[in-house]
Amino acid sequence: MTVSAVPQGVGLTEAPAKAPRRQGSAANRRRSRLAPGGLRWILPGFVLSVGLIYFCIGYNAYLSVYDYNGVGPKVFVGLGNYLKAFQNPDFWATLRHTLVFFIVGYTGQVVMGFIFAAILHSKVRFAVVYKILIFMPVIIAPAIMSPVHRRVFAKEGAINWILEHIGLGAIAQPWLAQVSTSLFVVIGVQIWSSIGMAFILFYASMGQVNPEMLEAARIDGAGNIRILISIILPNLRGTAIALLILKAITSLKLFEFPYLLTRGGPINSSDFLGTYIHREAVLQFHYGYASALSVILLLLSVVFAIIMGSRARRD
Amino acid sequence: MFELRTRRSRWTIQIVLTLLVIPFVVPLYTMVEGSLQGRGFGNYLAVLKVPGLILFFRNSALIAAGTIAIVYILTMAASFGFSKLRIRSKEVFFWMLLAALTLPEVVLLTPLFVTADKTHIYNTFWAVIIPISALQVPFMVLLTRSYMDGIPDELFEAARIDGAGTWKMFWSILVPLAKPMAVVVVVLVLIAAWNAYLLPLVFLQNPDYQVVTQLPQYFQGQYNDDQTKVLAGALLTALPEIIAYVSLQRFFEQGMSAGALK
Repeated sequence: MTVSAVPQGVGLTEAPAKAPRRQGSAANRRRSRLAPGGLRWILPGFVLSVGLIYFCIGYNAYLSVYDYNGVGPKVFVGLGNYLKAFQNPDFWATLRHTLVFFIVGYTGQVVMGFIFAAILHSKVRFAVVYKILIFMPVIIAPAIMSPVHRRVFAKEGAINWILEHIGLGAIAQPWLAQVSTSLFVVIGVQIWSSIGMAFILFYASMGQVNPEMLEAARIDGAGNIRILISIILPNLRGTAIALLILKAITSLKLFEFPYLLTRGGPINSSDFLGTYIHREAVLQFHYGYASALSVILLLLSVVFAIIMGSRARRD
Repeated sequence: MFELRTRRSRWTIQIVLTLLVIPFVVPLYTMVEGSLQGRGFGNYLAVLKVPGLILFFRNSALIAAGTIAIVYILTMAASFGFSKLRIRSKEVFFWMLLAALTLPEVVLLTPLFVTADKTHIYNTFWAVIIPISALQVPFMVLLTRSYMDGIPDELFEAARIDGAGTWKMFWSILVPLAKPMAVVVVVLVLIAAWNAYLLPLVFLQNPDYQVVTQLPQYFQGQYNDDQTKVLAGALLTALPEIIAYVSLQRFFEQGMSAGALK
């Protein structure tokens, strides 16, 4: 039942992951003189996306050298806003949280996504029900689920209730309201909401492993664990790398869960660049400073864009 | 994938799976249980009676429809260009578009917020539709282009020899063949637009223009932080998404595996 859900004849599913693109570009070169010009076809999308980016990069760079609160005059401060950020422990705290989020979040997402994909590719009952439950958090908006999570992690919430009933009542605590745990609750909730994506991508790439190869391995006496390590894992490398890049971007973008669960607090303990910029720009009207932070964030993103671009060209 | 020969191993794996899925059930259970406390279904009736509730849904639907239309048209045209047409230094353009993939929306915040007065986008749907579209197009082009690379070029050459223009090729060959990708584009953009929170939070302050993701906070204001009604509101808001996903689950799974993110 589970395997049949992956279509065998659709588009690229049967071909090895990298072949179609390579064929495509070779064919492109061969008939490039035949094909009609296409600049005007890509232009609208290009102008919208790239245009908005360059406008925002330019505007952020421009504002970042001023002290500006929206109504008064713009006061030129040079690199003052950047120096202010680098000297501010709050700024370094957001970077530290981003790094922890990236490492813990990626590990959790990939390990759990892989386990679910492997189990659901075996013949288990009610597989569809499990799949829907796992993917549901990807669908429902963080903004909608946040009040629920706040209740789950509250002092009288479900987590503490479960802990008390399995004999761990001693470690029950107000998870979101204290400095020592708030960051990990935010990370945990974000993992919870991203496992579904890792699961569905792993599930799809596992479906492309050649069944004859599995059959042959099995005849040669390979057990389930052996097959998992020697045949299936190597096939998932591409997906794992794609998820790594996506996670890096998500870590830099993170706004909704920290904002809605803790507002970055208590005392900055779960603050991220996203919540920090929002606070400085929208609530405090420190536009120049917020722009400097945005430029730093952009530079970090560009590093990932370059890594990603070089990967795309290699394929 | 894995052969489970004995009945015991089958039961073990089923139990392991059920235990692992508990964290996914707990929030859903909490949502339902919390929303029924106190006045039971009365909470739902109270929430449904909130004047203007329908506006939140209408506004979200309008934004989603606008975003989907823009992203679908731009993505199909751009992927067609990138995959099948001749463009000088094509890969440079493609790479520049890919760079947009990493753009965090919070970076748009300060420039758009500061220029909002001049551009008159404050409290209009465009303030949400245009940035979301701009952020969605790169990823959709990435997915759709690799899908189109899998469509044989010979089809287009044959059409050309038969005298078809570029527009005709796009409309009569590409659009019908790219239907599986259309489902993926629609579903992913729908999720992104329907779930958008930051941009509406900042740019749609007028109550008449607010969207469903702002409902929990609206209820918190309305009911003085009466959690039962907030949760009832959350469930009512999540319901359309849950229903839509459960009914589209099969197609979506197929589309994802046909897509190129590998």
